[in-house]
Amino acid sequence: MFDLEKNDLTRDEFERLAMKHVDPLYSAALRLTKNERDAEDLVQDTFLRAYRFFDKFERGTNIKAWLFKILTNTFINRYRRSVKERGIVEGSERDAVHERFISREATEYAANPEQFFFDRLLSDDVLRAVDSLPIDFRMVVILADLQEFSYKEIAEILDVPVGTVMSRLYRGRRLLQKALASYAIVSGVLRAPVDGEPIDLEAFRRHRGKTA
Amino acid sequence: MSSDPTEATAAMDCAELTRTLDAYLDRELAPRDEMEAADHLAACEDCRALADAQRRLRVALRARLRAAMGPGSDAGQAPDALRQRLHLALGREKKPFLRRVLSPVSFAALAACATGAVIVLASHGGTDSLVREAVRKHTRDLPLEVTASASGPESVASWFAGKLDFNAAPPHFSGGDVRLVGARLSNIQDHPAAYVRYDLPRGHLGLFIVEDADRRFGEVGRAVQIGPSSVRLINERGFNVAVWRRNEIVYSLVSDLDENDLARLVKRTQELDR
Repeated sequence: MFDLEKNDLTRDEFERLAMKHVDPLYSAALRLTKNERDAEDLVQDTFLRAYRFFDKFERGTNIKAWLFKILTNTFINRYRRSVKERGIVEGSERDAVHERFISREATEYAANPEQFFFDRLLSDDVLRAVDSLPIDFRMVVILADLQEFSYKEIAEILDVPVGTVMSRLYRGRRLLQKALASYAIVSGVLRAPVDGEPIDLEAFRRHRGKTA
Repeated sequence: MSSDPTEATAAMDCAELTRTLDAYLDRELAPRDEMEAADHLAACEDCRALADAQRRLRVALRARLRAAMGPGSDAGQAPDALRQRLHLALGREKKPFLRRVLSPVSFAALAACATGAVIVLASHGGTDSLVREAVRKHTRDLPLEVTASASGPESVASWFAGKLDFNAAPPHFSGGDVRLVGARLSNIQDHPAAYVRYDLPRGHLGLFIVEDADRRFGEVGRAVQIGPSSVRLINERGFNVAVWRRNEIVYSLVSDLDENDLARLVKRTQELDR
């Protein structure tokens, strides 16, 4: 009887703490799995795993970050990425170093008044742009710019060094800006910088001949 | 580091600024680097324009993300059916290993452990609006407006000066294990309040500092004498909260510590600030 009571208390406590974060967890799961059914399954697996390990959770540490860590691990274990995608991601991260030296054009481009094309983009376009990012970049952008975790928290969630968080975030944000600009051009919100020719930022840079 | 601006500028050039700009805008640079970046920005018009553009872009990007998949959006909201499903699934789940259950430590145990420093003065049931709201605000984990990692602990302590019409200097905790994380402006019952967050090796603290000359906030919880002050200890939604008053200023410390540890912690600040 006493045990049962305790058990109920623990479950209530867990549910009370975890359920507060179900929306952000589901939102991230949806962007990871890209479909509602898998997203719901992923959140359920995350909750059950978290509950089983609830005694390992250090009271007072950030339960939201802890749940996101379990969500990420569960996703990686269940929907293990193909070797191919992994290769692409690592290649992109190497490019990030190069990207830094050509970022000024991107910023100038984005800083012109048409920057505010963002405000007129449809949410569906934003979601598609997010989904178009390689998974590691997608995750880090969601954790930093939507959930507003600190670099250190993200490093713990993804189990990577802070330096990796920074380089992925840098690259991820630029890729997202680029994708958003492309959608803006496609949907006519933003005029292509060259007469009538729809181009993305990469092409824009090439046009300006400053890529090197 | 030297405060000579020419030296600081020399320490960070445009290439370096470009490289660290993201972390600078995210307020994630170490205090020294942040200062160097700020010095460089003050001196370099090109980089300042770049930083301003980048900051505007960041704000626009975050706003779009929130609108598309943040709270209240279709893609940011778990379906009700999922909540129901989670509730049922947890109900079917076998219980995890018995763990310490969050329950208020009995006061006898607290008094015994606190080496006689703690004496019961009065005990009232229930909680008041101050405590309820402090716990609610603390658990929402709102972003901090100034952080010790970016600006240094000293500037966090002085950050409230001029922003509130009372002296909201946060208390000092003796011992090195309480780390000041940062602060933001908050409010309790529509009265402006200072909020300061601390990290412990195992736990977090949120301290609300609010002026209460009119004694709006009732005397609830267990009143205990800790050092020179009468401190009230309240358990609200699983959080142990310590409330004490210094003249017209009320401090509410929300913690996930057990009552025993919280009382000991409060004692450390009381002694230091006496």
